[in-house]
Amino acid sequence: MTDRSLLRAIGWYRTPIIAIGLLASLLFFVPFLVVVATSWTSGSFILFPPTGFSLQWYETVLTDRQWLNSFWLSVVVAVISTVAAVLLGTLGALGLTRIRSRALQRWVRTLFIAPIALPPIAYAVGLWSVDRRLPFLDDTLVSLVVGETLLAVPYVFALVSSGLAGTDPSLRPAASTLGASWPMILWRIELPPLLPSILGGALFAFTVVFDEVVLSVLLLPPGTQTLPLKMFTASQEAFSPELTAASTMVSLLAILVLGGAQLASNRRNRAARLRRKASA
Amino acid sequence: MTVALSVQDVHVTLGQNHVLKGVSIDARPGEFVTLLGASGSGKSTLLNVIAGLQGIDRGHVAFDGTNVEKRPPRKRGVGVVFQSYALFPHMTVGENVAFPLRAARRPAAERAKVAREMLELVQLGEMIGRRPAQLSGGQRQRVALARALAANPGILLLDEPMAALDKQLREQMQVEVTRIQRQVGITTVSVTHDQAEAMTMSDRVAVMRDGRFVQIDTPENIYRKPATEYVARFVGEANLFPARGGELLPDGVTDGRTGTAVIRPEDLRVLTGAEPADAWSVSGVVRLLSFQGSRFRLEVVSDTGGRVVCSLPPQTDAGTLLDGNRVRLGCAHPDRVHVIAATANDDAQELVVA
Repeated sequence: MTDRSLLRAIGWYRTPIIAIGLLASLLFFVPFLVVVATSWTSGSFILFPPTGFSLQWYETVLTDRQWLNSFWLSVVVAVISTVAAVLLGTLGALGLTRIRSRALQRWVRTLFIAPIALPPIAYAVGLWSVDRRLPFLDDTLVSLVVGETLLAVPYVFALVSSGLAGTDPSLRPAASTLGASWPMILWRIELPPLLPSILGGALFAFTVVFDEVVLSVLLLPPGTQTLPLKMFTASQEAFSPELTAASTMVSLLAILVLGGAQLASNRRNRAARLRRKASA
Repeated sequence: MTVALSVQDVHVTLGQNHVLKGVSIDARPGEFVTLLGASGSGKSTLLNVIAGLQGIDRGHVAFDGTNVEKRPPRKRGVGVVFQSYALFPHMTVGENVAFPLRAARRPAAERAKVAREMLELVQLGEMIGRRPAQLSGGQRQRVALARALAANPGILLLDEPMAALDKQLREQMQVEVTRIQRQVGITTVSVTHDQAEAMTMSDRVAVMRDGRFVQIDTPENIYRKPATEYVARFVGEANLFPARGGELLPDGVTDGRTGTAVIRPEDLRVLTGAEPADAWSVSGVVRLLSFQGSRFRLEVVSDTGGRVVCSLPPQTDAGTLLDGNRVRLGCAHPDRVHVIAATANDDAQELVVA
């Protein structure tokens, strides 16, 4: 009801708004559709419109050891970093609510969010020079995972913080007067209502880490490449439709994952609405 | 189980604010005490001190003679109903009520049994499987009460328990909560800024102001014999007049040092023209007459500029009390006039003039 009355209130002003909206979505989708289209070419160059139709480039990518290794490396790095970021970000957000001083709270919040604003290259160079002094880390993913985790923490922190803002601050004191010890309060009272925010934060963290290139360039052990890095180098070497086929598959995967998450949260909301309705 | 509560000379400082400046109060086992005060008077802080949620700088809190000020909240055996009720949103009503037993690692069968019993007590037995979001405000409050009582605490603490309810429900729940409190027989401390709530529910009312108790007494004495002008005006409507040695002075005498008489609106009456003046009377001009169902409320501006409020029975003939008409008011119940000695007031002078 508000949507419609809002539209009416805007009146003819909405024409340019709709036009800009359409343009923006075109800008969003056209390049993606071009990429998809070029990937099914039967030729050996990225060309639009594509010449003929075949899935040969998909086959090439899916059977190529290098592409597959890169994919799995990215998955491993993203999973580990996401788990670490979820732990740190969630604990950070919960810890923040235990700080009594408002000023200190603001400072800590800013520090947690700061990595979003820092240029990743500066950060990567810093971490790289530390990495060089620790030779035992040379052939490991440790420094990369640490770096990616730090980039991902702010997303988890922000989402969990906003989830916390929507919960009643007296839940914790209430639980403590009811006899609960702090681990029980954390596990049974504070975390369960935050689960949707934590999962949302994890999804963000995963996509950020999975798509990240700059840190990978500097911090990966020699001879290994994450998927985005492999794509990047592929785009600089031969302009082969392998690249667009791989991009398409990664995009499809992302759409599937995000769509699935959306579906799950819709279903949960609908169930909650139904429960409320049943009681009314 | 119910315990005697004793608070001795408790001081609390929050940041720069001296929130509690040495408060002492005792409550008998099973007694219902209400802390009444404006916001910022320190009443909620005192409640948190008793619950153990707020540390203290100095003083003692004792349950049945045992000092508990060092005990964390979870070991105090207090049940708290929070202003927001603080029901756990992801748990069912039954799980909420059974939570204190779960925290105490009681077996599942006992948890289920107690949850059912407590919900029966608050007459919500059929809601055991619902979520808090599916309940009305009054139902949530009763669930919060059931949960607070489930572990059989020694003291029940209510933090503005009616604040989230609308007026009609509020009156109903005041009766309901009092019934449950009497039935359980638990020592109860409630916090409110609503004087009607304090009067309805409590055995004793403790009026707080600026981190101190002004008066601790039964609701009737708080109303009839307020210790200070602040209490007189905070609880119900009050007319304040100068007095000396228990005698009312003629209106217009502004020697505040002599003391202040408190006359409640229902103890004033309108003197008709021919009627001889009582020992004391005040005359002025009608400002507003409003009908309030069970009474007429007559507001008069006295000749000295003070505001006098008078309650008249609903069958009063209102024809002579038009706005702007002159009236004379006398005291219908001189025996009920209460005089506050001048020494009881820090602000006596300022008030008499007003």
